[in-house]
Amino acid sequence: MTRNGRVWLSVFFWAFVVYLFVPLLLMILMGFKDSKFIGFPIRSWTLDWYLGVFDNGEVIATFGYSLWIAVASTLISILMGTWLALLLSGRRFVGRFAVYALTLLPALVPGIISAIAFRIYARQIGIEPGMGAIIWAHAVHNVPFVALVVMARLSTLPKSLGEAARDLGADPLVTFMRVTLPYLKPAIIGASIFCLLLSFDDFVRSFFLGSYEPTLPVLIFAKLRSGMSPEINAISTVALILTAVLGVWAERSSRRMNREN
Amino acid sequence: MTSEPIVRLEGISKAYGKAQALHPMDLTIAPGEFVTFLGPSGCGKSTTLRILGGFETSDTGRIILDGQDVTAQPPEKRKVNMVFQDYALFPHMTVAQNISFGLELKGLGKAEIKQRLDEVMSFLELAPFATRYASQLSGGQRQRVALARALAPDPALLLLDEPLGALDAKLRGQVQMELKAIQRRTDKTFLFVTHDQDEALTMSDRIVVMNGGRIEQDGTPEDLYFHPQTRFVAEFIGATNLIDGTVRGLDGAAQEVVLDWRGIELRGQAPAGAPQTGQEVSASLRLEKIALGAERPATRNAVMGRIVDKTFLGSRVAVNIVVPEAGDALLRAYADSDVTARLGDAPVWLGWDSHALSVLRH
Ligand SMILES: Nc1ncnc2c1ncn2[C@@H]1O[C@H](COP(=O)(O)OP(=O)(O)OP(=O)(O)O)[C@@H](O)[C@H]1O
Ligand SMILES: [Mg+2]
Repeated sequence: MTRNGRVWLSVFFWAFVVYLFVPLLLMILMGFKDSKFIGFPIRSWTLDWYLGVFDNGEVIATFGYSLWIAVASTLISILMGTWLALLLSGRRFVGRFAVYALTLLPALVPGIISAIAFRIYARQIGIEPGMGAIIWAHAVHNVPFVALVVMARLSTLPKSLGEAARDLGADPLVTFMRVTLPYLKPAIIGASIFCLLLSFDDFVRSFFLGSYEPTLPVLIFAKLRSGMSPEINAISTVALILTAVLGVWAERSSRRMNREN
Repeated sequence: MTSEPIVRLEGISKAYGKAQALHPMDLTIAPGEFVTFLGPSGCGKSTTLRILGGFETSDTGRIILDGQDVTAQPPEKRKVNMVFQDYALFPHMTVAQNISFGLELKGLGKAEIKQRLDEVMSFLELAPFATRYASQLSGGQRQRVALARALAPDPALLLLDEPLGALDAKLRGQVQMELKAIQRRTDKTFLFVTHDQDEALTMSDRIVVMNGGRIEQDGTPEDLYFHPQTRFVAEFIGATNLIDGTVRGLDGAAQEVVLDWRGIELRGQAPAGAPQTGQEVSASLRLEKIALGAERPATRNAVMGRIVDKTFLGSRVAVNIVVPEAGDALLRAYADSDVTARLGDAPVWLGWDSHALSVLRH
């Protein structure tokens, strides 16, 4: 690469960093402002907003609610997605392409459209808005990501590995549990983290399918409408830090697993 | 062979769509034998091995293993273990866990597993690597782990599909010796696949040469080398002189074929199913079976020739010899360097016995 090219590249990179982190930094800082209104200048500082987050029963409950939805929907999408990936990577069968297309479809439909569709359909078949409906919508939305990640991993599984297990006395089920599944583990863990974050972060589906109990993004949205206060910044920052920790941990553990394999 | 065969293949075959990968084939293997399938790429070696292991089903015939018909059994039920070409070590398990896998599935107790594991690991000198993962081993070490894993459950038959293919030339030679020694010490029956003729010759008790999904010839390395039955075997294994001639007759008592080679009478060894008088045949004459000298030799066959070309090979010299009496036909032979020096440009006598000239089947 030419010298000029390198300079431009680093300019773009730093522009990207500024674009990404300055708003976050402002958000974090604003949570320390000792005033009811968001905006510069910050004359005096306080920890009250942050401490308030951990004191606020509503926020804590919403946090737990969101987490519970994330975990439940992730479990469902992992089971469904892995099963579909195995089905699609295995023996050919009639209608395979149709199953493949249907598996990927939820990733392609815009969130707002699928959210409204889910809402209408849920009412038709008598599903009440609330946790179940949100979990259902999140799970369906996340299945394609799981299926794609697991299929990519499966395509690198040497055929001889399963044969070696059979050769050494493992029936098909034991082969799956002791060889195939451990081989898929890094992909499944990676996909789980991704699903957790997607679900935790989702607003549109949770908004349309929720009842009176809000998920965290919905709560933040509701609070925004009733006026901007540094409390929102503090809540968002705590959520940000938790998801970032989860992301970094996932990245490191998947890197460790790759080293082993 | 006095003992019951460990393996009997009766008319097994395999077609993939229209392509016949394996024509109906019979084969028996005695306990403790080191048998090698040798043949060019795509000749059906792996297919045969995979049918034995249970990874492919045979279209026809039966597979008898240790006196038991296993034709319909899945791989996990057969007392056969395989060393895969890519070793197929489980990446998420350590060396010890890989080797124990088959022992656990055999339902052995903890103490027994530990004992057998230690036994196999010390036998193959793997103890220092017990807690390593496959990715932390060298090619040769991986190969030994694959072997240990296959040997541990004490199978009746060990299948090895080109297990040395991934090793470099130097290591390969060393591992060949090791493998042969292990086979002798364990007294196991090995069925080995390779397309490398030197490997087959050095390691095997018996070689089964395959070509186009059929067995070309089945015999000891010496047998195949010195008495090839077909042109394919003669050319595939080692270097040889192919002599084309017409059958003049058979010398019944000595089981010799009398050949007319461009006007010269030669005597060769008849193949199974002796050829008819007047038939055109080929015969194989190994380079090292031709003796060179200044005097007419006392062997059954003797022709006069002239050295036209010499290649120094170190321990010996490869010479090209033109035989004027046979219409300037070319023969290749080996000689000691002092012999060729002594002969100089003078005409030389070439001599060989009738059993050195193998008349090939048509
Ligand atoms: N799954 C398959 N589908 C279709 N054809 C196959 C399949 N497996 C093998 N064949 C064909 O069967 C023939 C024999 O294959 P096989 O693998 O037994 O050859 P091989 O002697 O082991 O060759 P190599 O030395 O290259 O491993 C080949 O022509 C191959 O293309
Ligand atoms: Mg092969």
